Amino acid sequence: MIRLENVTKRYSSDVVALDDVSFDVPKGEFVFLVGPSGSGKSTLLRLINRQERPEEGSVWIAGRNIVDMPSNGIPQLRRNIGNVFQDYKLLLNKTVFENIAFALEVIGKPQHVISQQVPAVIDLVGLSGKEDRFPHQLSGGEQQRVSIARAFVNRPLILVADEPTGNLDPGTGEGIMRLLDRINGTGTTVVMATHDRRIVDAMRRRVVQLDRGVIVRDQERGVYQ
Amino acid sequence: MFRETGESIRRNPTLSVASVITAAVSLLIFGLTLIIQHGFDNLLSQWEGGVEMIVYVNSGAGEEQRLVIEDALGQQQGVTIEAWSYCDVACSLADADRLFAGDPLTRAQLTELNIPTQYKVVPLDATQVEILRGLRDRYLELPNVYSVQLAEEQLDLISKLQGFVSTYTTGLWIALMIAASLLIWNTIRTAMFARRREIEVMKLVGATDWFIRLPFMLEGLLQGVAGGAVASVAMWFINGRWTAGVETFPANSGMTSLVVVDGYEWRVGLIVVLFGALIGTIGSGTAASKFLDV
Ligand SMILES: Nc1ncnc2c1ncn2[C@@H]1O[C@H](COP(=O)(O)OP(=O)(O)O)[C@@H](O)[C@H]1O
Ligand SMILES: [Mg+2]
Repeated sequence: MIRLENVTKRYSSDVVALDDVSFDVPKGEFVFLVGPSGSGKSTLLRLINRQERPEEGSVWIAGRNIVDMPSNGIPQLRRNIGNVFQDYKLLLNKTVFENIAFALEVIGKPQHVISQQVPAVIDLVGLSGKEDRFPHQLSGGEQQRVSIARAFVNRPLILVADEPTGNLDPGTGEGIMRLLDRINGTGTTVVMATHDRRIVDAMRRRVVQLDRGVIVRDQERGVYQ
Repeated sequence: MFRETGESIRRNPTLSVASVITAAVSLLIFGLTLIIQHGFDNLLSQWEGGVEMIVYVNSGAGEEQRLVIEDALGQQQGVTIEAWSYCDVACSLADADRLFAGDPLTRAQLTELNIPTQYKVVPLDATQVEILRGLRDRYLELPNVYSVQLAEEQLDLISKLQGFVSTYTTGLWIALMIAASLLIWNTIRTAMFARRREIEVMKLVGATDWFIRLPFMLEGLLQGVAGGAVASVAMWFINGRWTAGVETFPANSGMTSLVVVDGYEWRVGLIVVLFGALIGTIGSGTAASKFLDV
């Protein structure tokens, strides 16, 4: 589903964020990207949805090399990749329902699809009854659920999460992990960057560890270390 | 999408109003330039094609009587005159239509029975004013000649005025139109900055660039068209006042044809609105493309 081949990403001649990185994520897998701050986790995730382009190597998503994809192909790529961030990136002037519906509206989904899929995904993330609330009326964990619902409402092939529990207390973070696990259970490939040791150790999933832009460990059913 | 455009304008009324006003003023000057040029063209229409001298013939003169005049013209053909042509009753009435467009009372007194017909004369060398004056004095002596007019006496001032007006007003409207585009550009940039989070989310969930750009371009287009509409109304008003004013000028003021009443003013109104749409689209389109990466 996701394959990186000898990918090197430099932000400038002396900032090498990723150095000759190769790895492969089969469809339906759940992968943790771990490593200290600045090791290149976010950069790797941004390569997957073409927010960044590598200087060298290729990035294959669902069988296509997206490095040289023309820019008019990017929207279609991104419709197949859900994004979740540490800071949620919700629109503050929109309700829960509107925030999620927005993701479908702007890719031109018809109203009847929206009114069917949005309540279903609100139910999935456990926010039924709160669809008319605004982000500031929700806890951090609830806001992150909205953001996951928005990422998942279009049933993407891949879900990319960059430190989704980074702003949450441990108990809330566990709830988010259960949700991501459920989403992974529907067949969606999940790649999650984190430096939350407890979560990685509890989940026992594949762990890819980065250090200064290099993969130093790739372990099935791994721990944070 | 229209709702969001409206919201965006409400969120930032000062910049939007400034854009519309600037667009309106530039387009008004642009429109008035076109109108004034058309008025001048009316004024000068009888002198088109290098005509420097017009011999007016008494309305009653028949073909044989005109032969005397044509004979005199023919003698000079190739000597001082390059060409001459006869403007018959219908042709002279058409000239009068333009010449007295702003003075319908005077025009109404001219009929096919009393209008002088004209010989329009193109000289070999228009700069030889002395030769033309000599010719005029000679032709005035001929029977049935009502009067002889030289372009030089009537035109010099007018064409200078036309050149002056067109140079400066054109400079003015071009400068103002650039200002209007830049203001619209700035309005759109501000609007996009205010909505950068939305744009970021739209891009992440796979909205196309055109989908993101379109509401902003629509907003710029709207501002340009609003400016054009305001300019059109103002122009229509000013043109009406001017036309009404010209009617009160004395008939021999030479200004009676400096009006636009032939429908051209409606065409200019349309052109002005289209130009408004154009500057709105250019301003907002370049901003929308440039700042899509907010
Ligand atoms: N937009 C950017 N411009 C320049 N340097 C960047 C940019 N983003 C990240 N970097 C640098 O690239 C390296 C990897 O960063 P990042 O991928 O954010 O790591 P992580 O997410 O693991 O903390 C760091 O040295 C960081 O300073
Ligand atoms: Mg990071």
